[in-house]
Order: sequence, then C-alpha cells, then structure tokens
Amino acid sequence: MGEVGSLIAGAPIPAAPDLVRMRRDRGEKLQHQLGAAGLDGLVLMGTSAVAYATGAVAPAVDSSHAVLDRTVAIVVSGAPAAHLFTAHPEGAPSELPTEFLHGPLYPELDEGVTTIKRALDELFEPGARLGCDELTHAMLRGLPDREFTSAAAVLGAAKLCKTPDELACIRAAQRINELAMWDVQAMLRPGLRQTDLTARFLRRVFELGATTNAIDPIWQVMPTMRAGGPWTTHGDIAFPLATGDRLLREGDVIWVDSGITYQGYASDFGRTWIVGADPAPSARQQAQFDRWAAVVEAVLERCQPGTTALELGQTAIAANEGVKPWIEHFYLAHGVGTDSAEMPLIGTDLGASFDERLILQPGMVFVLEPVIWDDGAAGYRAEDIVAITDDGWVPLSAHPYDPFVGAW
Amino acid sequence: MSAAGGPGAGSIAGAGAGVLGLTGASDQIDFARLRAERRRRLFDAMAAGGVDVLVLGRPANVAYASGAQQLWTAGTRPFGPACLVVRSTGRVHLLSTWDAGVPPEIGHDELFGLSWNPAILASNLGAIAGLGDAAQVGTDGFSPGARQLLAALCPHAAVVDAAPVLSRARTPKTPDELACIVSAAGIAEAALSALVAALDPGVSERQLLGVYAEAIAGLGAPTPPTEAVVCATPRQGPVRLRRLATDRCLAPGELVVLNPGAFYAGYEGTLARTWVVGAMVPSPAQRRLAQRSRETLQAVLDACRAGTTGAELCRVWDSTGEAPPPEPFVRGVGLGAELPLIGHRVGQSAQLAAGTVLAVTAWVAVDGVGGVLEQDLVLVTDGEPARLTRYGRGPLA
Repeated sequence: MGEVGSLIAGAPIPAAPDLVRMRRDRGEKLQHQLGAAGLDGLVLMGTSAVAYATGAVAPAVDSSHAVLDRTVAIVVSGAPAAHLFTAHPEGAPSELPTEFLHGPLYPELDEGVTTIKRALDELFEPGARLGCDELTHAMLRGLPDREFTSAAAVLGAAKLCKTPDELACIRAAQRINELAMWDVQAMLRPGLRQTDLTARFLRRVFELGATTNAIDPIWQVMPTMRAGGPWTTHGDIAFPLATGDRLLREGDVIWVDSGITYQGYASDFGRTWIVGADPAPSARQQAQFDRWAAVVEAVLERCQPGTTALELGQTAIAANEGVKPWIEHFYLAHGVGTDSAEMPLIGTDLGASFDERLILQPGMVFVLEPVIWDDGAAGYRAEDIVAITDDGWVPLSAHPYDPFVGAW
Repeated sequence: MSAAGGPGAGSIAGAGAGVLGLTGASDQIDFARLRAERRRRLFDAMAAGGVDVLVLGRPANVAYASGAQQLWTAGTRPFGPACLVVRSTGRVHLLSTWDAGVPPEIGHDELFGLSWNPAILASNLGAIAGLGDAAQVGTDGFSPGARQLLAALCPHAAVVDAAPVLSRARTPKTPDELACIVSAAGIAEAALSALVAALDPGVSERQLLGVYAEAIAGLGAPTPPTEAVVCATPRQGPVRLRRLATDRCLAPGELVVLNPGAFYAGYEGTLARTWVVGAMVPSPAQRRLAQRSRETLQAVLDACRAGTTGAELCRVWDSTGEAPPPEPFVRGVGLGAELPLIGHRVGQSAQLAAGTVLAVTAWVAVDGVGGVLEQDLVLVTDGEPARLTRYGRGPLA
C-alpha cells in the first residue's frame, strides 16, 4: 500500500519545518478566521490554544501548575503577532517583536485580573467583540464590562487544515516517539512493571529531542474477554486505563498509547504488543491484526479531498463485516495537532449528520485507530497517522507492527 | 499518576495491584480514611459556604472529591464537568466510562460516560438528582459553553466561584495527606540523587530531564509536577533562571539548578538544590552565592507561620538584601500546586494558615558567577514551621 500524492496545496512537506514561516502562516489563518467571525480579538488561556496562537514553548506541567502558571495569548485583529504573556520568555519565538512579549498574567488571582483589564483596555475599545477559550471566576469578577463569546469556531477553523510545516512538526514528533518505542519494545519481557516501560520511554524521548511529554504513557494489559475487564457504562471495552506498577507476565497482550510534543505538535503512537521473550500471536490474534489492516487499507483507499467522514466510517464498518471497528466512547479517527485529539473526529457520538458535513480537505490529519475485538483474543488496536494531500494521502507515521506480521 | 485513589481504590485488590510498595501498601497511610476525611471536609465546606452543588473540572479537584485515578495529561484542560458533588443527596458523581480506579464508595449509578456530544452530556447530567433545583452552584472554571450548559441544567442557580469552598477543605492537610506529601518528597529526593549522579561535563539539560523522568517512573511514580527540572547557569555573562530544558551541554565547574518533583497518590513533593558540574571545587564566589541563597531560604522558611501575610513574606525576602526573584517564591503544595501563590507581584494579601504545606524557593544569581536555586517544603503550624524535605548541599555545603 503506498501513498498517492504528497503535495498540500501544491507544496511538499519539508524535511524539516520552517518554524518562522509556520508561525506566520498560522497567524494569518487566525486573523482570517477572526475576520470571518466578526471578532475584534481573542483572549486565550488553554495550553494548546496559546501554543497555537503564539508559537511559544513552555515546559510541560501538571494541570494544577498549569492553571497557576498560565501562559496567556491576546490576539488583536489586524496586529502582526499575538501578544504573549509568559513566565518563560526563553520559549517565545525568536521573531516575536519585543512589544508583544510581556511578563506573566495570573488570571486565577484578582490582582492578576487587574493587569489583564489594563492590557485589554489598552488593546481594545470598550464593547469590542472578544472570543475566549476559558474564563476564570476572577475574570468574571474583574472584567464585568467585557463580554466573551466562544473562540472555539475561530480556533477550530484555523487549526483544521495543517500547513506543510505543521505536518513536518507532527512527523518529527512521531519520529521521536517511534524511535523511543524501538527501545521500549526491545526490553519488553515478563517481570517488568508497566512503569519500567515508562521510565525507558521518557528517558529516550528527551534524549531524542522531544520538547515535552504530553500524556502518561499507557501500557494497558487487556483482558482476553470483554467480561474480564472493568465494568463500563456502555458494556464495551475500558480503554485507556492509567498506568500503574503492575507486573507484566508472559503472554500479556498490551495496548500501547503514548504522545509527546515537538515544537508544540503532538505525536500519537498506538500498537498492540505481546509480552514474552519471543512472542508469537495466536491464530486468532493474527486474524484480528489482519482484519485491522484490511479496515485501514479500505479507509485509506477513500482518503482524498471530497470524501466525507461518514463515508470513511461506513467503509470501515463494511470492511469489518458490518461491525463498527472502534470503541463505543471513541472514534475511528481523530485529528492531531497542537492538541493530541482535535478535529476532525470521525465516528463519535456527534452522529452521522456531523460526520456527513465533515469533508476531507488537503492538510487535514487523521490518526486512524480502528479496534478489532474478537472476544477471547484480547483485541487488536494500533494507530497510524496520515495527512490528506491534494490528490490522496501521505503517512506521517512509520513503525512496524511486531510481533504481528503480514499485510504491508 | 500511580494512584490518585491509592490502594483500596477500585480493582486494586485484583491483579492490577502494585507489589513493590509505592502504590501497593503502606503502614502509615489509610487511603479509605483519607478519602472519607476529604469527602467529609468537602461537604462541610459546602454547607458552610451555602453551595448546593460543585461542578468540578480540574483534575486535582476531581481527585480530591472522588479519589478516582485519572489519566495524566500535561497542561490545562478546557473546563467541563468531570465531577459533581451534590449536597442534598450527599453523592459524588464522576465522569468515568469504567469503574477501574474508582473507589468503592462511588457506585456504578454515580458514573457518567465520556461523550463528545454536548446534548448527550447535558442529558447524562440532567439525570443527576439535586442539580436541577440547586440555588448555588460552584464551579472551578468557566467558559462561554459552560454558561449555556449550566443555564440549561440548573436554570435557577447562581453560578459562583468554588474556590472558597475548595480552599477551606483542601488547604489544611490531614495526617494522611501529610504522609503522602512526605512520601512524594522522598521520591523527589531520590530523583535528585539520580540527577546528581548524572552530572558529568558534556551532559545536556535535555538528557538530564530524561534522567529525572526515568528516575521517578522507575520508582513507580511516572508523572511529573513539572518538566522544569534542570537549568545550567553560565560562568560568563548574564545569568537567568530558565525553565525550559535545552540541548545546552554542561561545562565543568558550572552551577546547575536541579528542581525535581514527584507525585505520590496524587500529592506532590518537590525540592531544589544547586550543584557544581564535574569533580570541581566551587569557587569562593560560588560559595558566597550559595551562602546567600541558603540564608534567604532560611529567612523565608522561618517566617512561614500561621497568620503571616504575603506582603510580610516579601518584606522578609527584601530584608535579606536580595533582588526580588523572577517567580513567585512561595506556593501551596498538596494535590499538585495550590494557592497561596506569593511573590512580589502576586499574593500580597494572602494569609498563611496552620496545616498548609508550602514550597519555598530562593534564587540568587550574579552575572559571571552563576545562579543558585534552593527549594524546600515546609508545614505551616501555629508555632515553628516544620521542614518536610531533606537533602544535603554537596560541594556547596
């Protein structure tokens, strides 16, 4: 199976991203969407939204730290850059004009909001139409004269189709993630704890140049049968469960899922492994993998501009003999960018009409993650990333499926 | 994190149990008692604050209210209802599609599943008794979307800031919580030892970040409070505290800041020391810098007593003669970072309460010499503050 084309709006994906060009292109898209939405500006406080709007890099922190030590972006319609408020000026883009780089705001605290109010009064007229991603109660108290609408539509539209430089970042993040997984899989044997795999993985991703780790890596030992797993609200499989210090045993089937970031862009690695010195899938396990590969191949054949997400979902179901090949609470595929899961989502409970309106365009990115579950064989799940090109698709991931063989 | 709910949560007694102690067994922490005490404090604080329902989205608040194990992701999350605490029914409702990692006191009928569809979410939440007729609903975040959702779910409610209720419950630590924090401090100290052992000239900041991450994960505590752990400071030119690891390689004789943290059962431990790279004897100027840092840290630590205000702590800092630090130098520690946050620009009116745990940080730097960062955890009491972290100062002792 090979890619059909690899140009995005006529441009190839560069071997290495041009970060300055990437940030400029993103800024222009954001400005365009601001205009389309009739907004005068945005106030952004979510980690990934700020990363997208400003290009700033900050150390990864626990969510409890992230809300106290927020990086904030204020985007003004027509301005050449987003204002960046940060405690980490070393992470600001090199090309950011100094008048756009500011000290940290503390939107959790009333005194912090006093500073935000001053900044907003300087940048915007009273009554300006502003979008935001989040608000704090201190902001509700301290900015009674400002009204905010949701910035979701503006951000979502800007982020939906990636530029070739953004795709190069995702591919670079994925490469780091995959290289680290070679080392992790090589050490896989009975008697290790799940967290031992985490230790190896994290050491390697930082050595290989990851900017941050994004999620506690998952090494979930799957039950052979659905009924052997945890109770769920919908009766389907529980996944992903957080990692603990469980000891891995011979023959355990583990579903692996991890994500790191490179220059703000997330990777997404998913594979199914079997614990053992020389693991060999059973016939049923191998058949699950073959089915998984057939589903992915069928979906990829439809991956081109103009296809709807609904058609992709229907194609996947048809390739799995009429059974939906994904977990009830998830999807056939999700996008990836500055968020580890973002639009386009395919096959969620947003429903068929949502999927029908979602039409593939060049620059969209999908993490395809079908799940094949033959009850009694512990299931097969893997994730591969593709980008939609001008006339087809191109892979952004490249990792073997060992110990499963065949297909490609 | 390895177990926000701790042993006793969900399937812990089954095959998923840890066996090596960090998540499996403790002779000093009773996790069922810990959760019961948290729950009691939360409902008491809601009663005292007149809040009928809490709608919580932040993982630390969800962990406090529910004790459930949650998947760790870095950074902020968009505000959304992940845990609802209803005073009239005494129930805690949790966003969880499964019961794994959910403590036994939360029943299956108190779980609601993940949904991407706001209409389905609203329908799930609408079935929760006590929400529709609530008069005061406290939230720990807000967004334009949340405004619509809450208006539909509890049309008569005033939406208020949950922070006072949460702070009242969470700020004074129970003995079990303190034991968790001390356990986390032990993990952080072990990570500091791993970092010190790796301080060979030529190693990069990013490699050291890898050493740190490997160390905490190897101890069964794989998630970091922050990846801002290592900062090498140059012996020539200007010195700044940088929090983002780079590929910069350490040169012999440089001062390098080591600031590892860790979680145990959701509770944070953290400390910082500054070390000399390589088998080098510190210069007299480096020794003087370390002495100044130590004196500043000690002065602030000594002042961390019940009733002290943020403004007073700033005056203590200033009395040492050191320049105001680039970051807040005192912050709360519990289920991760907590208020108060005190620095020269924030937290002036904050007042320390007995039972609070604080991370106190001192940073002093001289261009051409380097920078020294030191950090310790301290328990605020009505009397003498109690230091919770322990670590020597190596070549800078």
